[in-house]
Amino acid sequence: MIITRTWLNNFLDISEVSDDTLYKTLNAIGLEVDSITTYTIPQRIVVGKIISCEKHPDADKLNVCQIEIGAGTIRQIVCGAANVVNARYVAVATIGAKLGLDFEIKHAKLRGVESEGMVCSASELGLPDMGTGILILDESIGELIVGKELNEYKKLADTIIELELTANRGDCLSINGVARDLSAALNISMKEFDYESQNQEKIGLARVAKLTTESNTNASLEYAMANIEELKTSLLFDLRLSFIAKFSENPIANFLQYLTHTTGVILRAYDVSHIDFNNDEKLTITTKNVNGVIHIAINDKICAHLGINQEEESKANEKSTQVLFQASYVNPKTIVDVVSEQKLKTDELYYNSSRGSEPTLCFGIAYLTYLFESYYNSKLFDGTLSFSQEVDDKIITVSVEEVCQIIGNHIPKMEIINILKALNFKVQTSSEDKFGVTIPRYRHDIENIQDVTEEIVRIIGIDNIEAKALKFVEKNRSNTAMTKYYAKKELRSRAVAAGFDESISYAFTDRTLLETYNFSLVNEKLDIVNPITADFNTLRTTILINLLQAAKRNVSYSKKSTSLFEIGTIFNETREEKDVFSLIATGQKESENISNAGKPNPINFESFVKKIASIIGNFELRTSVLRNGLIHPYQSADIIINNQKCGYLTKVHPSVCETFDLKETFVAEIDFEALIPQHINASTISKFQGVYKDLSFVIDKNIPYSQVSLTIRALKLPLLKKFYAVDVYEDEALGVEKSLSLRLFMQSLDDTLNDEDINNTVNTIIEKLQVAYGAELR
Amino acid sequence: METLEQQINDANSLAELEKVRIELFGKKGTLAKEFAKLKDVPGPEKKAFAESLNKNKTTLQNCFDERYEILKKEEIEKRLKAEAIDVSLYGNLDKKGAYHPVMATMDKIIDYFVALNFSIEDGPKVEDDFHNFEALNLPKNHPARDMQDTFFFKDGAVLRTHTSPVQIRTMLQQKPPIRMIAPGAVFRKDYDITHTPMFHQVEGLVVDVKGEINFANLKAIMSDFLRYMFGEVEVRFRPSFFPFTEPSSEVDISCIFCEAEGCRICSHTGWLEVLGCGIVDSNVFDAVDYKNVSGYAFGLGVERFAMLLHKVPDLRMLFEGDTRLLEQFR
Repeated sequence: MIITRTWLNNFLDISEVSDDTLYKTLNAIGLEVDSITTYTIPQRIVVGKIISCEKHPDADKLNVCQIEIGAGTIRQIVCGAANVVNARYVAVATIGAKLGLDFEIKHAKLRGVESEGMVCSASELGLPDMGTGILILDESIGELIVGKELNEYKKLADTIIELELTANRGDCLSINGVARDLSAALNISMKEFDYESQNQEKIGLARVAKLTTESNTNASLEYAMANIEELKTSLLFDLRLSFIAKFSENPIANFLQYLTHTTGVILRAYDVSHIDFNNDEKLTITTKNVNGVIHIAINDKICAHLGINQEEESKANEKSTQVLFQASYVNPKTIVDVVSEQKLKTDELYYNSSRGSEPTLCFGIAYLTYLFESYYNSKLFDGTLSFSQEVDDKIITVSVEEVCQIIGNHIPKMEIINILKALNFKVQTSSEDKFGVTIPRYRHDIENIQDVTEEIVRIIGIDNIEAKALKFVEKNRSNTAMTKYYAKKELRSRAVAAGFDESISYAFTDRTLLETYNFSLVNEKLDIVNPITADFNTLRTTILINLLQAAKRNVSYSKKSTSLFEIGTIFNETREEKDVFSLIATGQKESENISNAGKPNPINFESFVKKIASIIGNFELRTSVLRNGLIHPYQSADIIINNQKCGYLTKVHPSVCETFDLKETFVAEIDFEALIPQHINASTISKFQGVYKDLSFVIDKNIPYSQVSLTIRALKLPLLKKFYAVDVYEDEALGVEKSLSLRLFMQSLDDTLNDEDINNTVNTIIEKLQVAYGAELR
Repeated sequence: METLEQQINDANSLAELEKVRIELFGKKGTLAKEFAKLKDVPGPEKKAFAESLNKNKTTLQNCFDERYEILKKEEIEKRLKAEAIDVSLYGNLDKKGAYHPVMATMDKIIDYFVALNFSIEDGPKVEDDFHNFEALNLPKNHPARDMQDTFFFKDGAVLRTHTSPVQIRTMLQQKPPIRMIAPGAVFRKDYDITHTPMFHQVEGLVVDVKGEINFANLKAIMSDFLRYMFGEVEVRFRPSFFPFTEPSSEVDISCIFCEAEGCRICSHTGWLEVLGCGIVDSNVFDAVDYKNVSGYAFGLGVERFAMLLHKVPDLRMLFEGDTRLLEQFR
């Protein structure tokens, strides 16, 4: 919504209010100011009166004008604009005027003819562009006095304020509406607007036209009609429409636009030139409610859907000689539902009608009459046709105590009443704490005491409300969400310590990409209807693709290594959500530095696993049976925590690396839930010495350590406290077998171990591995 | 005697000194030989001989100790010199990673509210119409519920467009008094220099008995919170409109880039819009069947805070895992 100072001044005398006060007040009452711009017309540009205008002797397109630029001062100025021929008063930049930083008007000779100044166009004055040619001045901007500096014409050098209105303030979609709200805040009364028609056609409208409404027409309508001889808009119209970026070449459209922007009343114009009243033809307007949409028909032809749109061919245009004007109002709530349910096409006025346009239609018609008779050589028919739906007034009971409770400051009852009265609420005075208020019809947004309180807050100004700290009862508010948050924070801190950068990526991805790499997909019946782009057409079922893409981007910025992690949400086929901790490490094992002569080794399985271990702590790796497209079949593993599979890590398949332009790359994805620290109970610590013992087996190459480990654990040997692999060795001599060395640690809670205890444990293991895998001690 | 002292002082290393020690003080050393002569010294001279011998021994021992100290020091000095390296070469061999600025900002925000006894609550990202819109006083066809902004699923579910549905879930699961924040990712169909289809919000809600919670309280906590985040800034409240609060306010801080002089970032207004808040609309309480309560709510965009705090130029950059950006936060 754009307003200008002088336009506002039509309804509210703000001549004593500074721009700064205006800016602060608008913001304070919730009409947020986006920008405030004051047009300044450079000095020495004055009103000039064209005395004569003749063709340049040597140039077809130039005219030589004699222009009066002050009492008795006439200058010869050469002008190139075609429309100078029709002009009487123009903007003249005199010698010495500066139009921009390095453009000063000087004496000039144009094709041999002296020129002492320049006739300016709107854009040359720094005003918005208003079509071709020079700016032709008229009295709509004020009395034209030859030689007067143009900057003194405040309607030209206006201040433009762009407001960002919230969705509830349809009542402020007009100059009058903004003025009305400002009036309460600035405590300045609105100027009365009342206009009686001075000069009408003799024929009464009711004699030639008739309005028939169905009983369920839940709207208000008012019609006026005019014979149009000439519809020439004034400079002020065009200028203001340019200020609000609504200027068009169609004079009727401009006229309606100007009216609606000024009054807030929705006005439309129908071309009824074809109806010959002299030949006794009549005009009949009928309304019909069809599934909640009010159809307007003129002589049985449907011309508009009230508040929604108008048939293109029914619109009045510059050729129309007879025009029917319609002011209308529909309750916004009723049309938004209808439009959405029936998916109706709307035009630009729908924005106003759906947010609540001005219901006082006679104001719009009176303003129309005033403009018509002030500026146009056209006449209106006598009287109007109108229909107005009966609506009950909205009355809300206001309790002073409740208002004060919501605000938290004491506001005297008189102040509350005065504010509401200033906002045109009708107050039923009462000596009680509670009193009734009638809400003005244009305030569609006011429905309860909280809304009324907001009005009081707006006008008092939030800055004037004293802040008070809340007294509250302390309470233990820790819960699982908090536990999870701190677990995530801890995990992130360890990942960062291990050299990974934290990444955030979109929860969206490309369905075909997931398919290509054999990841699960969200069931098609549950997928996104309106994706933002094809790359983001589904929910991700893994974060790893996002991380690979990020790594690829980094490579393209000449990064040799990238380590990233993300904790985020992924989805499964049924769209259930799960948080995972995902990591990628690509390129070199460590940074290039003095210790590795600038040639660090590429990252490998071992170094990646070590990094993961430093972040998530204890885990086991088992050969993975998972087969998504990223997985390297011989360097991938399931991650096991507390005997539960909770994720995997893998070297990225070479062909995937190729696609993403990556060198050696490793990734891991682990369920976040499995990484939340669990409660731990301490077990008894033995007071006796323990014994380490190494065993080397020759065993089938294809049997992974994890299998051996599970087998030994299944024996549940009481003395065996821990064991781990310390060496694995393969060579040709061993053939299909390998040598695997285990280190055992044995300890008893009760006494020092003797040889027999040790041998029993060791032999049980040897026998078991022999039976299970044919493993032989080396 | 002097030759002996000379011998000690001539030793140029601890090893040489050790040799001298053995020659002089060893079992078969010079001193031992001298002491052995004692038994041949005639009685009356014995005492004097022994005394002079002991005196010489003490002198030599002192001389030896002195020399030892010097050589030990020299030895250590030498070793230290031998171990000399250019330490400046080894600064930051391996660097730690970086927290994402958005997550770090979120942490800072959460810290504040947890310190003020707020609980943390969460909820699903795929939401239903009731929690995301209806219960928040956003009935169907409400102008604030623009189809353009919401991601819909084929079964009618939506990706939450704000963290506000967590308010509804929390109110339905718990009883007042409530004092919560809901941090998390939200989704809107928008993509340009200041909008991404996913971003993060922190939502806050406080509910207690009717009359206990008011706008003045909201003003107090929001002003304090913004000064905690941004330092000594001016805080400005402007009335605004949100369907789920009434009265509502947008909150601005004085521009931290130009000290409110007016610059490109604050669109020459001197103010930066940072959050929205208000008194919970009674329609919201009706939707969760809360009676006789009052409350306030607030919501803010974490990316906006992060961009302002860390002067990040382009929002989209935050979602690309771009280490050129991230590394700066190490």
